Amino acid sequence: MAFRNEPELSPEEARERVDEAIESNDVVLFMKGTELMPQCGYSRRALGLIKQHREDVATVDVLAALDNYREALEAHSGWETIPQTYVGGEFVGGSDILAELDERGELAATLEA
Amino acid sequence: MDHEEVERLIEAGVPDAEAEVTRPRGVDDDDHLAALVVSPAFEGVSLLEQHEMVYDALGEHMTTDIHALELTTRTPEEG
Repeated sequence: MAFRNEPELSPEEARERVDEAIESNDVVLFMKGTELMPQCGYSRRALGLIKQHREDVATVDVLAALDNYREALEAHSGWETIPQTYVGGEFVGGSDILAELDERGELAATLEA
Repeated sequence: MDHEEVERLIEAGVPDAEAEVTRPRGVDDDDHLAALVVSPAFEGVSLLEQHEMVYDALGEHMTTDIHALELTTRTPEEG
């Protein structure tokens, strides 16, 4: 990212933010970019799929410290890929799994935390 | 990584799998791959675990030389 004034998060800070976000939100999406400006097609797709079924979703922009966030997320899901969706503290998957659940008509129920 | 190699690795790693790996952004773009994987081993297994079986088959390639892979998994019954 070209213009980023804040110093990058440390591994500990990234871990704390991830733990806190998963614990305190019914639905949270870790994504590249923000809700208003997704920076990756897969993050955009994941956000769009969630938004079809619920307005209330927390997002965390992992680009603030990509490597540290990957590591912190892997401790929860075993996955290093972005985006990652958690519902009620449980890992659901990335954009492919959201799309597949949507196709099967199961996404709305999955997102009901 | 070449799409046929990805296909081969998935078929080698997931029991009785048939994998079809395509390049949705065109034949010149080996960075963005899409895989349809059909295997009887997906029967009764959650979607998350199905995807993990495929990622396990690809091992460290998933984080090193595969840039992006869109994944769809099916049991033979689901076609």
